[in-house]
Amino acid sequence: MTGTDCSMAELHAVLLARDLLDGEKAIVGTNSDVQVAACNLARASHAPTLWWVSGPGGMVNCNEPVIRSTARTENIAWSEAMMDLPQMVDFIDWKIHFFDFAILGAIQIDRYGNINTVCVGPHDKPRLRGPGTVGISALTALARRFYVVMARHDRGSFPERVDFLNGPGFLDGGTSRTDRGLPEGGPKFVLSPLGVFDFEPISKRMRVKSLNPGVTLEQVQKQTGFELPVEGTPPITAMPTVDELKTLRASVDTSGVLRERRRA
Amino acid sequence: MSKLKNLSDALNGIEDGATIGIGGWIFNSQPMALVRELIRQNKRNLHLVPAPSSIAPDILIGAGCVAETGCVFISFEQFGLAPHFRRAAETSSIKIHELDGPAIAGGLRAAACDLPYGLIPDMCTDLPRVNPQTYQPVPRQPGERAMLKVPAIHLDVLLLHAQQADELGNVQYFGPVFFDVLMAQAARKVIVSVDRIVPNETIRRDNHLTKLPSAFVHAVVEAPFGAHPTSSGGLYEADDAHLAEYVKASGSTESFAKYLDTYVGGAATHADYCKLIDNPRLDEQTSQ
Repeated sequence: MTGTDCSMAELHAVLLARDLLDGEKAIVGTNSDVQVAACNLARASHAPTLWWVSGPGGMVNCNEPVIRSTARTENIAWSEAMMDLPQMVDFIDWKIHFFDFAILGAIQIDRYGNINTVCVGPHDKPRLRGPGTVGISALTALARRFYVVMARHDRGSFPERVDFLNGPGFLDGGTSRTDRGLPEGGPKFVLSPLGVFDFEPISKRMRVKSLNPGVTLEQVQKQTGFELPVEGTPPITAMPTVDELKTLRASVDTSGVLRERRRA
Repeated sequence: MSKLKNLSDALNGIEDGATIGIGGWIFNSQPMALVRELIRQNKRNLHLVPAPSSIAPDILIGAGCVAETGCVFISFEQFGLAPHFRRAAETSSIKIHELDGPAIAGGLRAAACDLPYGLIPDMCTDLPRVNPQTYQPVPRQPGERAMLKVPAIHLDVLLLHAQQADELGNVQYFGPVFFDVLMAQAARKVIVSVDRIVPNETIRRDNHLTKLPSAFVHAVVEAPFGAHPTSSGGLYEADDAHLAEYVKASGSTESFAKYLDTYVGGAATHADYCKLIDNPRLDEQTSQ
């Protein structure tokens, strides 16, 4: 709890929106409130021609100022195109760098930004069976970059190595991603309840970019399953400005879907 | 020739062990009336190929109808993980074929085109390690992109739910079609439940909504609220209270047996099921 009156979901939407550029193309999955908010907030502020498509539904640039599941039929009336999935899979599952970015969630993320949404423990006898892969393998492999939003931050969700790799990040670090034939790309930022993380340019190891207000370096290191390199004293995460929150609440998320979430 | 059938006749002839495709998308257009009828008919050892889904494969697994399932994505999203799928995976009681979007799209497309396999990019995941039958290596020439081949996914029967159709089997969608059309092209038999049967003139008036022309459809079943408790193309929303009830009932063998007794065994017909959910009425809304 800090003095900044916004929810964690609002914070994440604002942090992501700041990094999205005008003219970029993106895909948003089914239950992706933060992703929809980030894209539409960017469009409402500095990136009016950012182009985003609903992965399951095919609706393009839905601009209803209410956040819904992207699969919902209601979104059609607020969109400027409606594509069919069998056409979309050409550029979702095959084409290199069609999408500038994707924003994904995960059960686990490891030191090189590989992600897991399949299982914890061995695949044939998992301790926890997750939902599966759907577009995650293709988007992490083929988009120019991706972001990962983690609902939790502990040693289980940030292990040294994911139990099942279904979204390639930097694989084994260094140049291993491109050595194994994947296009340039990989994770840019990881957002967790504790802070923002990025990757060292050469080793591709995850490192601390900023800490959320009230979070200490010791706490983050203790709750992470691998050593996080730090350069100097990490800054405090730049919280949403009054203007950013105003735009988010008045033009993007008018029914307060994100506001209802846990406080930042 | 009319393709209109009642629920029971439409599913007649599906054999134990058949490969059953399931259309829709998570909480949208799961073909639940058809799925409940499969359970009533006590089908066994089914091999499921669900599009990203929720309750349709989960209830079939919970009812003991399933030997194997593909998993692209099976989730209850805001309600948590899919309870029976999760338990079956964690106790290894069914075989799971781990799939990603490219493998199901590539496999269905190959089947639709009568090709033996499709080619997908090698994404360097662990999927080939746990599913080597699906993800097969391909020799790579220098400078070529790394690829895998995925065998064609042939469906014996495909179960779908859409908003309306005529008796001839022209099926109209008011919302997204998801993988339904691609799956239909890869299926030997396509059975569609619709919320209402309309005259052919109605179909012709808005023919841009006919995503499945009759040549691809073998049987249509009139089942208003046939996707319940999931949504149907803007005609009705998902029933969150019922989904929560399902998840809660799935907490123990006894409570789930009671759920099945009430909503499947206890409702001999789809009309009986509708009575149990208080006979909701479809409004007169059309696609416009």
